[in-house]
This record gives sequence, C-alpha cells and structure tokens, in this order.
Amino acid sequence: MSEEMRRDARIYLLGEEVAQYNGAYKVSRGMLDEFGPRRVIDMPISESGFAGMAIGSAMMGLRPIVEFMSWSFSLVAADPILNNAPKMLYMSGGQFGCPIVFRGNDGAGGQLGSTHSWCVEGLYSNVPGLKIAIPSNPYDAKGLMKTAIRDDDPVFFLESERLLSIKGEVPEEEYTIPFGKAAIRREGTDCTIVSWGRPVHFAMEAAETLAKEGISCEVIDGRTIRPMDWTTIFASVRKTNACVVVDQSWSFASPGSEVAAQVSEHCFDDLDHPVLRVHSDDVPAPYAQNLEQEMLPNPRKIIAAVKKVTYRA
Amino acid sequence: MPNATLASNLASHLVKSASVTRTEIPGTTLLKWFYDMALIREFEVRCMQAYQDKKIGGFCHVYIGQEAVAVGCVAALEHRDPIVTAYRDHGHALARGMHPKHCMAEMFGRIGGCAKGKGGSMHMFDKANNLYGGHGIVGAQCPLGAGLAFATKYEDEVIKGGKSDRVTMCFLGDGALNQGALHEAKNLAGLLDLPVIFVVENNGYSMGTAIERGTTMAHKIITKAMGYGMEGIEVDGMDVLNVYASMKDLCDRVRATSRPAFVDMRTYRYKGHSMSDPRKYRGREEEEQYEAEDPIGKLQKFIKDRKVATAAEIETIVDRVKVDVRDAVAWADASPAPGLEELYHDVYVEKWGPYTGTSLPEMLRESGVRSQE
Amino acid sequence: MPISLTMPRLSDTMEAGTVIKWNVKEGDKVRSGDIVADIETDKATMEMQCFDDGTIAKLLVEPGKQVKVGTPIAVIAAKGEDPASVGAPSGSAPAPAAAPAPKAAAPAATSSVPVTPVTPIAPATPSAPATPRAPESNADADGPRMRVSPVARRMAEGEGIDLSSVRGSGPNGRIIKRDILAASANKSAAGASIDTGTKLALRQPTVVAGAPSLFGNGPGERIVALSGMRQTIARRLVESKTSIPHYQVTMRFAMDALMAKRAEMNDAIAALAPDAGVKLSVNDFIVRACAIAMAKHPYINASFGGDHINVHGDVNVGIAISLPEERGGGLVVGVIRNADRKSLRQLSQESKFLAEKARTKGLSMDEMSGSTFTISNLGMFGVEHFTAIINPPNSAILACGAAVEQPVVRNHQLAVGWEMQATLSLDHRVIDGAMAADYLKTLKSLIETPASLTV
Repeated sequence: MSEEMRRDARIYLLGEEVAQYNGAYKVSRGMLDEFGPRRVIDMPISESGFAGMAIGSAMMGLRPIVEFMSWSFSLVAADPILNNAPKMLYMSGGQFGCPIVFRGNDGAGGQLGSTHSWCVEGLYSNVPGLKIAIPSNPYDAKGLMKTAIRDDDPVFFLESERLLSIKGEVPEEEYTIPFGKAAIRREGTDCTIVSWGRPVHFAMEAAETLAKEGISCEVIDGRTIRPMDWTTIFASVRKTNACVVVDQSWSFASPGSEVAAQVSEHCFDDLDHPVLRVHSDDVPAPYAQNLEQEMLPNPRKIIAAVKKVTYRA
Repeated sequence: MPNATLASNLASHLVKSASVTRTEIPGTTLLKWFYDMALIREFEVRCMQAYQDKKIGGFCHVYIGQEAVAVGCVAALEHRDPIVTAYRDHGHALARGMHPKHCMAEMFGRIGGCAKGKGGSMHMFDKANNLYGGHGIVGAQCPLGAGLAFATKYEDEVIKGGKSDRVTMCFLGDGALNQGALHEAKNLAGLLDLPVIFVVENNGYSMGTAIERGTTMAHKIITKAMGYGMEGIEVDGMDVLNVYASMKDLCDRVRATSRPAFVDMRTYRYKGHSMSDPRKYRGREEEEQYEAEDPIGKLQKFIKDRKVATAAEIETIVDRVKVDVRDAVAWADASPAPGLEELYHDVYVEKWGPYTGTSLPEMLRESGVRSQE
Repeated sequence: MPISLTMPRLSDTMEAGTVIKWNVKEGDKVRSGDIVADIETDKATMEMQCFDDGTIAKLLVEPGKQVKVGTPIAVIAAKGEDPASVGAPSGSAPAPAAAPAPKAAAPAATSSVPVTPVTPIAPATPSAPATPRAPESNADADGPRMRVSPVARRMAEGEGIDLSSVRGSGPNGRIIKRDILAASANKSAAGASIDTGTKLALRQPTVVAGAPSLFGNGPGERIVALSGMRQTIARRLVESKTSIPHYQVTMRFAMDALMAKRAEMNDAIAALAPDAGVKLSVNDFIVRACAIAMAKHPYINASFGGDHINVHGDVNVGIAISLPEERGGGLVVGVIRNADRKSLRQLSQESKFLAEKARTKGLSMDEMSGSTFTISNLGMFGVEHFTAIINPPNSAILACGAAVEQPVVRNHQLAVGWEMQATLSLDHRVIDGAMAADYLKTLKSLIETPASLTV
C-alpha cells in the first residue's frame, strides 16, 4: 500500500484505527508518519458512512483504500458497497466508475463467535460489478494488492487474520499479480483440489497426507474469485478426472458451488465422479474451540472427499 | 389526517431576506429560471402521460411543485460544484443543464438516454454537468455527497496544495431524515470539515407518511444539524428568488469556511409519491392551498410586475417549452432500445470473461467529455 | 387531429382498469390537468388526469366496464375541431379485458395419431462405428440402467471397449475410469451385442370435454363482474378459511351496567361539550375492553408465523366497516392503533373518523393495515349471534351481536335485562380453547364492570 501511495497521490487509506493506532491488526504500521493524517485517516465506527463517503470520492476519481477492521462489519455498509460501488458504472451508462479497494479480515478461526466470523465471499461473490481477491500468502498479498489498487473497478480484498502472522518471502521489488490467474501450488494426477485464501493451506496439508497413501493431488489456489481462472481449473480436471472444491464459506449458493457447477458443465465428460465440495458446516460459527475447528474445512474433511471422488474410500 | 403542522409552519420563521435582493437579479436570469421551471413542469407532465401510455416503466416520481428548489439551488452554485440527489431527480438533471431529450430517452429506456437506458427514472447521471446521480435507495446519496466533498477538498488541498474551492450539494427528501446513512454522513462531514450542503427537500411526506409521523422534531428539523456541529437554515422553497438568495449566501459561506451546512427547504409535491399513489392520505384542500402558492405562477407575476417581459413574451416562452418537450419526447421515442450487446457492457471498466469494457454514452460524446481517466 | 384518451396505467402492476365515474360528459371543455374520471385499478381508485386541452367529443366506455390498459376510452376534439364530427377512432372499439377467449375444444384425434416408425435415438459415433453407444433414455425398459461415469464412457468409446462387458467397481456397480483402464490393459474387450431395440411408450392423450351447464338460467339472472375489492375479499377470505384451523367460542355478557354507564356518559358529554359531536357507542366500549384485556392475554394479540408465533407489542384493533352500495359495496377493516392506550372518547372519535372516511373518500393503505385483532359488529342490524372469519395475519376476531333486552336470571330471579352475545373465532395454531375462554372471561368482567373501562 505504501509503495502505491508514493506513486499516486490520489490514493488514500481510511478506516477504523488505521492511523494513530497503526491499524487494529498493525497492517498500516508507520503509514501515518509517512503520509500524514490527510491520507491515512482514522474513521469513527461508522462503516456505512465512511464506505459511502469513499465511494463518492472514487466517483470523482480518487482511489481510496477502505479498511474494514473485519469484513463482518461490512454488513452494516451493505448498501453502499453492494448497491453503489459495483453498480455505479452500469447505472450511469459508463460515466462514473468506482476505483476503490475495500480490505479487511475475513473468515473464522479465532474464537470470535458468530457475528465476527463471516466469510463474506459467500455473500459478495454473487454480485456482478465487483472483483474479489483472496490471497493465501504474503507474496500474493502484495502482488494482488498492487493490482487491486491499480484496478479501475471496485475490489473486495479478503485477508485472513489467521494468515497475517504467516511469514513468507516478500521481495522488496515491484511486482504485481494479475487477477484471474490461479496458481498451481502442487502438481498431481489423481484429483484436482480447487481452493482460495486460508483453506489452501488445509488443502496442501491434505495433499501431503494423501501422497503418502499413493493419491496424487493437484492443488489450485484461485487467488481471485471474481474473476475465477476457469482455464486453469478446467485443464487440471481434464487431466485428473476428479475434482474437490474447498471453500470456507457456507455451501449454499457459494463460490464453491459455482466451481462445482462450472466444472460439471464444462468437464462433464471428463469426470469420473461428481464434484464434491468441502465447506464450513451449515451452522453459525460456534465459539468453543473444538466446535469451531470442526465446523471449518479441515484436512480430515478434504482427505475424505478426495478418497471418495477417486473411489479409494 | 390533514397535515396541519407543515401548512402552519410555512408562513413564518423561514429565511426571507438575504444579502442578494430581488431587484439585483437581472431580467435575463429571471427569464432563464422561468424557462427552466416551466420546462421541468412540462417535462414531468409529459412523463406522467408517457408513463400512462406505458412508454415509461418501473417507478416514476415527478417533481411538479418543487421546481423552484432545483432551479434556485443550481443557480446558487458554480457549474464546477458537484451535486447528487435521490430518486426524484429529473428536475435536478434538467436544472443542471441535461438536455431534455437525453433525460426523456433515459425515461423511455433507450440508448440515447443519459445512461444508455440502463439507469432509468431514478438514476440520472451527467458527468459534463457534474451531476453525480440520482440514487434510488433513500438516504444512500448522503454518504456519497460527503465523499464528493471529500474528493474536491482532497484534490484542491492535498493534490494541488491549494485551498478548498468547491461546494457539494446533496439533495434529499424529508423521508431520508430517518435513515442512518444521513446521520453517518452528517457526522463525518462535521468531523472532517467537508464543504457539503445537505438540502432537505421537505415536501412534508415520505411517500404517504406525513413528516410528523415519521421523524422527531418535525416542526424544526434543523435541530438535526446542530447535533453535528453544522449550520442549519430554513428556506421557503416555493419562491425561486428566495431560494436563490438564501442558497447563494449559504454557498458563499460554505465555500469560504469549508464547513458543512443543512437546509430545511420547505416545498410541496403536487402529485403522488410515485405514479401509483392515489394521495388518499391528504385532503384536496391542502393540495389546493399549495397550488395557490405555485412557484412558477409566483415568478411569472414577479416578471410581469417588474416589466421584465410582457404577457405575450411570457406566452412565447411557454410555447417554446411545449415545443422543446414535445421534441424531446419525439427524439426519445425515435431513439432505439439499447442493443443486447449493452447487457455485458459497462459492468467493469476492464474487459474480462463475458464483459466488454465500458464507453461513454452518446450524450457525453456529444459534449466531448473524456472517458475514465 | 382528435386526441384519443386511453385507459392509463396507474400502477406498476395494472393490466386493466374500470371507469368508476366520468367527471365529464360529451361536449364538456377540458384543460390539461383536469380530472376526467375515477379509475379503479387493481390497487385503488385513482383519478385520471387529462393532458390536453379540448372538448370531449365522445365517451367510449360505460362506467363499470373493465378495459385493458391502452384501450381508447374517450376522444377529445382539439382546439378548432368540431366535436360533433369527431367520432370514435376507427377500428379501435374498446376491448373487454376479460373476454373469455373461445377455447377451440380440439377434437380428440386419439387413435388416429400416426405413429412414426421408431428410429434409434442414439446416433452412431463416427469414431467407433462398430460399437453403437449404449442406449440411455430407454434402457430402463429392458433392465437396470447401466451406470457409467462420464469419463469412463468417453474412454470406452475412444478405446472401442464394450461397456456391457465391463464390471463396474464404483458405487452401485458404476463403471469408473479405473475399470476402463483395467479392461484396456487386459485387452479383453470383446464386442458383445447391445440391444438397440427401442420402445416408445405411447400414452393415449386425455380428452377433457367442455362440460355444458346443467342448470338453466332463470329469469332476472345477471352476471356481475367482480370489483377489485370483491376479488380481494374473495381471495383473502378463502385463504383464511381454508388455511387457518378456525374454531369458535361464544359467551353471553350482561349489559345492564354498560348500557347505564353509556347513557350516563353520553348525557355528561352532551352537557359539557354539546358541539363536540361525541356519542359513545356500545362498540366503543367493546373495543376498549378487547384492547385492554390483551395485557393479560398476549397470545390473542399474536400472529402465526410458520415456525414461530409473533406476539405483537402494540394492540391495533381492526374494525370491520361495510361500504355503501354507491361506493361499490364490500367491506374494509379500519385500524385503531394502540387502542389499549386510548380513552373511550378517543376510540369513539377515531372509529367514527375511520368509518366516515371509508365510506366517503376511502381509507389509505396505512389506515387499513397493521391490525393485530379485529372486531366485527352486526349489533346495529339486530343480529344476535354470528361467527366471523379471521382477518389474517390476526389470530382472532370477535363477532358481536346486539345488546338485547330480554328475560334473564339475575340473583336467582327472573328479570328483564340487557344481554349481548359475542363469538370469538380463533386460530388453533396459536390459541387453545382454554386460552380463548380465559380471554372471554376477562372481557366479561371488564364489560360487566364498565367503570373499569373509563379509567
């Protein structure tokens, strides 16, 4: 973010506790000192107001980055972020775009209870006009964030609190990762596992275990949900003839369901078994640690699904 | 029940005098206002007709009775000042200078519309005239209005290093007084010193609910500005001269101080909330009382009394309005429906998947506005 | 050129409308903005505005007749035209909206349907002409459907493997990828014959003949079109009576004290404020009693919500109001909000206002919606007992009869007293019999001790 703000004065950051507090999760550490309070702006707890305000400024050509401390709090800003940002270009017949990035923590796993554990990709991926990026590691986070900031369309950038502590190689130099380009995290021949965001790590863990049992999995990290890299996914399924989707949102009408439907439609003659999905259980996120872990997608559930689609159960 | 509160309040307590006096306004300006207000009225009448003829679909909210507000407020602004409004937006678009043919074509859902027929009655946008939209969700335009003011100030001060020099006008109906979005927007505007004026077009009804049944302190809604540390004034919105004079002063102050302001603009809509509203919640006497206060009639009388124009000259303007609107209807009717390729156009700026990127509408191509920077 | 006035679309869902009343007659001058007619839409009665100046040359539609939106209903002669010579626009006679399209009862051509010779549905696959694809759609006629995963089917085709010779190892014998790989490796694929015979089950088309009317039409019989309101009443009450498990509980009330109290209060009001025009009715007392009794019986003031019961916070009492014939008849329910917090006098004024407005100008949506309990009173007609249909989403409705002077037993003595019967209809999903009886008991004690209603 800092690199981009040095490049373009139209970019500014606003959100709760982003400035003086250095970010609720310390994501914006040091940015106030560098850019000053006119470009790194603390907001009151007023998501609907500041999200709408940032959208208004983006209509005029500024390029705001809006931090939601948690994507769970974006629900109170649903009208501006879903009714204004993604529809402005269309409703104005191409006159006013909305180059804006909304970012924040998404997903459960920290015993925060149900209201603070939303996986909003399940809700928001339904809406045309916006893009959704969901990095699974620090390297991707930087490259995707740069693309998001430079994108002329509204981007929802879904980070995971659980992944913020992951250390990874992040080169100092300039690079971007295009949207709609998946990464193959592991090559394999027996089953394709499609995932994005935090569950990519569970998929990798599962693939590791399955490899010991002689089942070779190909793990695809989608990186962005809108656009989704169908080319890479379809090519992999045509090779392995089996597909499991791992998605931390609820299953009903989710991005995971969309992948299952698209694969079934486009790779029907290549499938040896119907596509299976591993999601969070269809219940509100519980507080108790054991229940919460059981609810989320985990390696055990992924392994069971892969065995089923490869007829090894 | 009759809306007694509003009627009795209209008489007194409103800003009646301002530094601009009635005599200072040049005759040509008065005639332009007269044309604009008559244009809006005739445009809306023909919209009602076209709606009943099924040329216009969906919802249709007409501005009849409130013409003095849009015309007077727009006159008090500079052209570079952005405005944003709610769904009763045809009047603002025309007052701002949108050609009635593009406005009518948008109503008809045709490619020649300001938004290529994709926005409709409630969503009028005009980049060339700094109109940032009519917005369909009650109150949603308020944070956007704060954002426009944020952007002008940011551009003027942070990017250009100068002084904030633009005023944003954000119109809303009295129904929006009770939406959280307005209150969050007012709080942020007060907090960040944003040069935005929230103009409540207080016509006394949110749909069919009289104002005092929906909001607290209905007799004194500027109290809702005080809590956010902003100036609030009450203006008789049925008199364009008064609207202009009061708003001109206020715009000057907001431009100079970069502080937000709030206006209780007392007005009245003669017609229903939308085309399907039979207005059973108020008496015909009440409507007649306001019709006697008709802002167009009032301006016409002023023009005659000041001998700016003769009755015959006024008649000529009225005839021109009729012709202009008739031409707009004919033009809109002749404009084709958007092609099916428009379905996947203007969803994203970037081309990807089924989406074919974006381009400006014919209206802006005519006026030479550049595409997305 | 004469201007044609067409049936306007006055709501987003309106398809047809009825001219209730013409406000103009032929020969009248009209100006843009004049209200020329009252139109009944599917939602309300609305005013129809005219957009041009001129003279009404012809009215094409009788009041009461429903026509489709867009149908010409009147012709206006523009300035300078002779109204007399301007007739109906040619070839556009008003089309009745609900004209029953004569359904040509297609003669049954049952047995004469030519049956085309059956051809195999599955085309031969060009890449493997020797192994016709296994029939899919008709296989169940000959035995269990063969289960093959899509990729296995495709591989078998490519390799020229006969699927019927392959044993499936997947669930329910599904032939899967590894079965084909194994078969291919063994080179054991031998083309067994596949039954290509295809049968087409033919069904006799069912013929429904139009049933002729068995009953003659008596003299004076007439068909009356349903007004919008009548349609609504028909739909809602059928819905209520057929979907809600109704039952009724009746109780008698001694009305002597209440009648005396009412006379006493009306005298006092007449003396104190003769011009106020307030006269308390028996019904006003009943409304108040019903409303304040809710405090002890919240479930009477509730709605059934499928998987929950919504116990309402406010007590909004609906009053059934019948409409006069000249307004098309029918009935509406006017709603007194927060009736439990209003005095008898307020209740009286409000019900009077609602009834008058309903019968003259019509009630707004707001004045008709939001009831949590309804009272229907036919006492003024002398009716002693009746039952009412619940007004959804309410769970109860009280049907009140007249207070009648009659022989009664009071204190073990035969006497003459005022009595009234009232019958509650209830939704058994929300309210059980004992609960209803308990509510009536509270109601009885309030009504029989009317002083409790005046505080």
